[in-house]
Amino acid sequence: MAKLPTPQMLVASRPAFPEQDWLDIKPEFAPGSFCYPAKKETMELLHMPNPHDWDPAAEDWNLPENWEKILCDAFAERLEKHRSLKLFMDICVRCGACADKCHFFLGTNDPKNMPVLRAELLRSLYRRDYTMLGKLLGKKVGARSWDKDVVKELFYYAYQCTECRRCSLFCPYGIDTAEITAIVRELMHEVGLGTHWIMDPVKNCSFTGNHLGIQPHSFVEIVEMLADDCETVTGIRPKTPFNEKGHEILFITPSGDVFADPGIYTFMGYLLLFHELDLDYTFSTYASEGGNFGSFTSFNMAKKLNAKMYAEAERLGAKWILGGECGHMWRVINQYMDTYNGPSPSHMITPKSPITGTVFKNAASTKMVHIAEFTADLIHHNKIKLDPSRNDHIVTTFHDSCNPARAMGLLDEPRYVLKHVCNNFVEMPENTIREQTFCCGAGSGLNTEEIMELRMRAGMPRGNALRYVQQKFGVNHMACVCAIDRATLPPLADYWAPGVTVSGLHELVGNALVMKGEAKRTMDLRQEDLPNVVDDEPEGEE
Amino acid sequence: MLSLEIFRAHKKEVVAAWVEAVFATYPFETTGFLRTKQDPFGNPVAHMTREAASTLFDAVAGEDMHPPTVKNALDRFIKLRAVQKFLPSQSLAVIHAMKPILREQVLPKMQDVGQLAAYLEAESRLDSLALLAFDMYCEARETVAEARIKEIRNQHAQLARWAQRLEDGGKAE
Ligand code: SF4
Ligand code: SF4
Repeated sequence: MAKLPTPQMLVASRPAFPEQDWLDIKPEFAPGSFCYPAKKETMELLHMPNPHDWDPAAEDWNLPENWEKILCDAFAERLEKHRSLKLFMDICVRCGACADKCHFFLGTNDPKNMPVLRAELLRSLYRRDYTMLGKLLGKKVGARSWDKDVVKELFYYAYQCTECRRCSLFCPYGIDTAEITAIVRELMHEVGLGTHWIMDPVKNCSFTGNHLGIQPHSFVEIVEMLADDCETVTGIRPKTPFNEKGHEILFITPSGDVFADPGIYTFMGYLLLFHELDLDYTFSTYASEGGNFGSFTSFNMAKKLNAKMYAEAERLGAKWILGGECGHMWRVINQYMDTYNGPSPSHMITPKSPITGTVFKNAASTKMVHIAEFTADLIHHNKIKLDPSRNDHIVTTFHDSCNPARAMGLLDEPRYVLKHVCNNFVEMPENTIREQTFCCGAGSGLNTEEIMELRMRAGMPRGNALRYVQQKFGVNHMACVCAIDRATLPPLADYWAPGVTVSGLHELVGNALVMKGEAKRTMDLRQEDLPNVVDDEPEGEE
Repeated sequence: MLSLEIFRAHKKEVVAAWVEAVFATYPFETTGFLRTKQDPFGNPVAHMTREAASTLFDAVAGEDMHPPTVKNALDRFIKLRAVQKFLPSQSLAVIHAMKPILREQVLPKMQDVGQLAAYLEAESRLDSLALLAFDMYCEARETVAEARIKEIRNQHAQLARWAQRLEDGGKAE
């Protein structure tokens, strides 16, 4: 008689001591754990190297014939170009301080998701070619050779890192695994391996301006619909200046907030705020995407997409750029823009708020100010009227998006704004916020639905902290300053802390903003009834 | 009440053994970390496993427990296993993994004092809990599937409204 396995046999997924070394265990490309590949046509249009059809789940990835040489040369070139990369390859002492800091590791328990071992996947190849010991002793000192499985493995783990940089915060040497991941992704692109979710927006941004590839006239119409919605809620239709020359400020924000729910409500918040301030500004349809999926592809692609910002400021004659709520857009601006496309056009000036007169010296070089800084300054100078009680049905917490928090240190400004527009604010636990914030689990181009399962496990540390404040303090809302977060946190909250809603900061600003001549607010920007509205005296019933 | 007392006296060992059995479903290299770090946010998997372990044991032992309390304590643990790379059977077999531990640690003592029937009742409670976990697991998987559909819809929400308006002949104009 055939024997059925016992429950213990079913769970015993591994022997007490593994027969293989961790480096020899190969990843399994199960559905839900890898992104769909980029289309060949997309890669061709973008002049990416070695475009080809391939399937991550297939045995053969149809790599170009001389793939090994391509990769070795590309790696050598980058070691030459980026001193930091060479340093990161050399100086890790394997102290393990970073090991348990990655949300992917915490959610998957996969040792190769420890930042130190994620980097080791590349370092082992480096050792073979660039260290004496590696050349002599090979495997004994953790050196190994390229083979097709190694390529698969690099791909797999480079897209299980959101380039969030939490690990680098804890590394005594400041090794930035996010940069190592970025390099591995670049190497993969050299042999034609990219993901659809990243390359399709890159193509659209390259050719049309926004990540969905919506034509300029349609883009304007869609924004105008949002202005109509503003009117429905407030009785005031804010202006929507597009491509107008001669304004002081060019406003750039991620296009996701023009298309996606709930980002659109944050966009409405901007429209209302700028209208109330009578701000001298314009949008651009050419630079209509603040986000930069090129930065998840390669340095050159990031540079190319970023170039639109200064080009458009120059064409339109804007003196400085105000930037909306986005995550990686600010990483690119704050850390790379200067060297990519700087210096800024010569007519641009160090940003100065036309409302308060504050000079943003921190933006003297890039000429770009984050809207949270801008609004915090307005509130600090008492320049806008706010009624936070309109948000009284909300008990909110704040999610620090990785890039604004760790790549630009934007920690207090959003909180300052939030506390002025909401009366009930609760922080999540200390080791999950500010610099130590946990990623949403889907940044850096991983916010695609086919890996929802992976996102739920990678986002678990964030979801877990959210659930804690929900149960302990009745938190029912989470604010953030990142368009990707506005897309990725709602499903994460639905899974780990159902009942918590997500919004951008300026949606709440828009709700609390008391505008000159506005109609009595009875609903919020989502056109949902405000619970605490007191009925006015009935005005002469018919 | 004799049965409950015997169970209570063995809680520590049973819970510890079960937590180990769960940790053993993860790769060897990471078990040490799961075991040692105690921070509920720095080591969430261990925290949720221990929370589930304690409640699971109490419910099996026959402590007076509200079903919603039990559910809440198992919630994170089941949701986590539902999105990790396990087969459904592997995800949930850990619940049954308490059985051999109980048989080893508790059964002999119960037999000694003629409490076999009470012991079997406890095992039946474990079976019920496994069914409860099965419901929770399915619900979690459905939430993930729904999230995928919802996300596709939300990404283009405004675009869909715009297209609809064009179709209606731009009646807003
Ligand atoms: S950058 Fe973030 S996702 Fe990548 S290894 Fe470090 S902690 Fe993990
Ligand atoms: S913390 Fe830094 S030095 Fe230590 S293992 Fe991680 S990367 Fe290496």
